[in-house]
Amino acid sequence: MIKSLHSKYGAWLGLISRLIVGGVLLAAGLLKFQQLDKSQMAVRAYELLPIGFANVVGIILPYAEIAMGVLLIIGAALRITGGLSALLMIAFTIGIAQAWARGLSIDCGCFGGGGQVEPGTANYLPEILRDCGLALLSIYLFLFPQSKFGLDKTTTSGERDNG
Amino acid sequence: MAKNQPGKDNFTRNLVIGVVVGVLLIMVVPTLISKQTNTSAKIPASVSADRGYGIVFNGELSGVPVIDIYEDFQCPVCAQFEGVQGDYIESLISAKKATVVYHTLSFLGPESVNAANAAACAADEGEFLSFHRSLYANQPAENTGVWSNDVLVVLGQATGIDSKKFASCVNNMDYKDWVSNAATAGAQANVNSTPTVFIDGKEIDRQTEYYDVIKFKSAVERG
Repeated sequence: MIKSLHSKYGAWLGLISRLIVGGVLLAAGLLKFQQLDKSQMAVRAYELLPIGFANVVGIILPYAEIAMGVLLIIGAALRITGGLSALLMIAFTIGIAQAWARGLSIDCGCFGGGGQVEPGTANYLPEILRDCGLALLSIYLFLFPQSKFGLDKTTTSGERDNG
Repeated sequence: MAKNQPGKDNFTRNLVIGVVVGVLLIMVVPTLISKQTNTSAKIPASVSADRGYGIVFNGELSGVPVIDIYEDFQCPVCAQFEGVQGDYIESLISAKKATVVYHTLSFLGPESVNAANAAACAADEGEFLSFHRSLYANQPAENTGVWSNDVLVVLGQATGIDSKKFASCVNNMDYKDWVSNAATAGAQANVNSTPTVFIDGKEIDRQTEYYDVIKFKSAVERG
């Protein structure tokens, strides 16, 4: 039952997942791209990576998000981009969760911004839930990289190949 | 992996992937290089590369506290800090009771870069502190287009800096590379918000000591 529903509508679910995850990544990347100093600051504020490495990540991350966002939206290399965005969302979730657990007061810097904020104003739970949801959609794309209107033409509609 | 069927469609797909990844790689590499410290950058008077490209006052003193102030001229909280502690810090400088290093960061956007560059030009005229004061007293909302170089020249004139050299320094962005070096040094010093104040290399307490005249003074005297 679930299997037949999936084979009927799975490609549409793939399309929706692609557009949501891709749209969020593209928006996040473009907003950070405007202010790279701030993006570096956001990564450092998690106090997770060595400072020099965090500064490099702060620069590369917006570009990587834009690339992954564009590729997801046009539906190219879905298995790879889906897998990478799943890893990225899991990493973000861990980063935010450890900041919360350690009592840091930081802006997640998810959509630009970032750095330390006034104690008590950080709001981590919605950010964690959002990133978990995006991780699930990304994992779906990794497992079932077929979708409607994508650029990947690796299977024919008659013989759907889930792996 | 799904079966790859060679043909026109996959060629288009691979071409698109290649273009997207290629364009972003071409953009990221120069950006990474531009964030390296440019050692040939022109630096303003009283700046020391050893002190994170900050503008140094009383650098020659020893046995006094060293106050490092990281700020962005567009940051409203920095203006608040200047309002509370500015007079005291300037009095420490004129009484030679502390070494003070101003690090002008520029993470809030292009107008922060303009302002930091203009402040460096003012430092060459020996007017950094008065221009610093003027900038905060006339701080507009962030990136509203107010702090163009023309306006900064006028602000300098209003502060008493009327040399032609200052105007051309501001308009030509003479210290743009220095501003970028100061930002890189701030990133290396793990400064994650502005203002950030270090006394003898140690950050003071953000909850209590930044905006309280008496507590700030005792933090300085504690050294």
